[in-house]
Amino acid sequence: MTPPQGSAQQHLDEMTLLLYLERQLDRERAAEVSSHMQECGDCKTLSRALERESRLLTRAMLEEEEPLPARLASFQQAARRSMQWIWMVTFGLAATGIYALYTSYVEPVQNRLHDAGFGGTNLLGLVIFQGAFWKGWQSMVSLVEILALLVVGGMAAVLFRRWFRRGTLAALLMAGMCGALMMPGNAAAIETRKGESIEITKSETIKGDVLLTGHRIVIDGTVDGDVYAFGQDIEVNGHITGDLLTAAETVRVSGQIDGNIRAFVNTLLVPGNVGRNVMAWAETLNVDSNGKVGRSLTSFCQTLGVDGRVGGDVVAFNQSTRITGTVDGGVQTKGELMTIKATAQITGPVKFEGEMEPRVEDGAKLAAGPVSFTKHHADSRMESKSGYYVWRLLWSSAFILYGLVLIWLMPKFAGDCVTSAENAGVSIGLGVLVGISGFFAALLACVTVVGLPLGIVGFMLWLVMLFSAQIVVGGLIGRWILGRTEDTWGRVGRMALGMAIIGVIVPVLHYVHILDMLFRLGAMIWGFGAIALTLYRRLQKTSGAVVPPPMVA
Amino acid sequence: MGAPGTAESTEAIARARAGDNEAWGELYRDYAPAIFRFCRRALPTREDAEDATMEVFMKVHGKLNQYDPTRPFSSWLYKVAANHCWDLLRRRKIRQDKETEDLDDVPLEHPDANQLEQLIEKRTSEEVRKALDKLPSRARMALVLRYYSDMSYDEIADALGVRRAFVGVVLLRARHELRQALEGSGALAVGGAG
Repeated sequence: MTPPQGSAQQHLDEMTLLLYLERQLDRERAAEVSSHMQECGDCKTLSRALERESRLLTRAMLEEEEPLPARLASFQQAARRSMQWIWMVTFGLAATGIYALYTSYVEPVQNRLHDAGFGGTNLLGLVIFQGAFWKGWQSMVSLVEILALLVVGGMAAVLFRRWFRRGTLAALLMAGMCGALMMPGNAAAIETRKGESIEITKSETIKGDVLLTGHRIVIDGTVDGDVYAFGQDIEVNGHITGDLLTAAETVRVSGQIDGNIRAFVNTLLVPGNVGRNVMAWAETLNVDSNGKVGRSLTSFCQTLGVDGRVGGDVVAFNQSTRITGTVDGGVQTKGELMTIKATAQITGPVKFEGEMEPRVEDGAKLAAGPVSFTKHHADSRMESKSGYYVWRLLWSSAFILYGLVLIWLMPKFAGDCVTSAENAGVSIGLGVLVGISGFFAALLACVTVVGLPLGIVGFMLWLVMLFSAQIVVGGLIGRWILGRTEDTWGRVGRMALGMAIIGVIVPVLHYVHILDMLFRLGAMIWGFGAIALTLYRRLQKTSGAVVPPPMVA
Repeated sequence: MGAPGTAESTEAIARARAGDNEAWGELYRDYAPAIFRFCRRALPTREDAEDATMEVFMKVHGKLNQYDPTRPFSSWLYKVAANHCWDLLRRRKIRQDKETEDLDDVPLEHPDANQLEQLIEKRTSEEVRKALDKLPSRARMALVLRYYSDMSYDEIADALGVRRAFVGVVLLRARHELRQALEGSGALAVGGAG
């Protein structure tokens, strides 16, 4: 590094002196340096200064200016071991809660949907796009495959954990799992058409599934597969041998669809034939006098009109239901108004739950007897008081468990979210802004082919944030009462207390019409905004992390 | 920090290796403050240091069987912590371009010893810690490894992924940068007689 220094006039360089002090020179060179320093005062002084600098450094670094954080003090294997029974109890409770929820609420709905022609076994598939969109889903829905997926996810977590921080890992895993679960097996092979106006002409036959996105879509020809259509006006005059999944303003089916219709639309008109089932979320759904639905009809609409023929049951949650045609099964509706015209013929039993008695005109043929009417009061939940409280208790427990897992996975992030929530104005404002825009952004992304998986994953994350929002508010309430803490279990305790308080407030508020709903909505917006604010701050911090910020002493 | 190498900690290590959680808890209590401080010095924020401390101990717990009892436990712990922190910094690409400069390029100077003495005299430990925070990651890490963990040049070379011959250069350059941060000028780092 430096040539030998033999005289006092030619000083040793700093590097040599440092290596000498740190005993990194070989014996011969060290002897030379030692001998030089006997004669050279400058080098001796510098050597002493370097030594003092080393000591200053060591002292500065060893000084304990910060106590061990509570979070770290409580983190140790022994403690974790002693908490194992809590986890066992927790998971036992969770399993019981899930089983109770499933048998009490999910299974009956599932059975009803099964009766209505939805034969899937998976709740997610049933609730979202079961049938038309998820051909691939049907084949991978078995429990074994889902377990296999979870195992793969777990293994990935173990393998890649060193490359991610816990929060990032949890988020990535969640997004990845959602993406993997949502991705239909055959989506890659789908044919796509995009444009202002799309027309499948009479002479045209498309083999396989097709994805159509455009302002106006007209299908005059034949599609030998499923059709996924997203646009403003959609008209099916031709023949679809599979299902139609659509989101549009107006859909008119004058032709023939051998499979099912699943529609998220403003208006759905069916003057043609649908071989299997129709399920629609719409403002207006009308099966015209010439229209025919082979099996069941399930609607969540403002106005449902059945002027034609429905081969199976009608299950409807509408504001108003009007039947003038033929229903070969039963009718079960909930809503404000039900009218059965004189020309109507209904084979199965008719049940209506609403605020006003159904209007049944003379001449209407009801083979299974008169309409069974249940008057629905605004406060009808009072009738099943105990059920309501059990339901609330289960929900609160489920939220606490969910919050516990979240806090355990991301203690710092959870704490930051609660801190952000303390800034109520910004959180609520951001909650409204991001809550609404995030939802629509995910929805818009779904409409584009490239953005479809991204949109679905985005939507799932949006839902996760929405569900986590109440936990943030719970944590905030807990913090107001018990004060701040850095300890993970302290955070869990505060969150649980807050959630328990919310669990008490909501049933009290539900005696006043929609007040409980407003309260929950407010909590969700607040919490959602707090999460968004924390994420924003984190992103800012990450992008600005090139230069380490000054230490907080 | 506990007393590495003493009969007591050796026994606790042996018991922890045999799966005794109480012993593991004992080791954690003894060594966690030192490792937290190490991470606090090496990483940019307190939160990072907290996370890293937990992750280091989780790693150590999983690797306890790989520990060679003939070596001091604290050295092994610091080595794991150093690797973890450096991996973390590297992943975040905090290392700046400046640090990729040729390591040979270090001035062979003889700074003014009196000026250096005065600087050391005037500065408090807290000021040194604040100055350390302003250093680029590798410089800071090198100083922490050497003057906090008392690691050998071989161990530092291994942890930072540089050749052993350059460890001295890295340390000296880090000292220069520290002096600049303390002084607010480069006078001491570059000045002096040749």
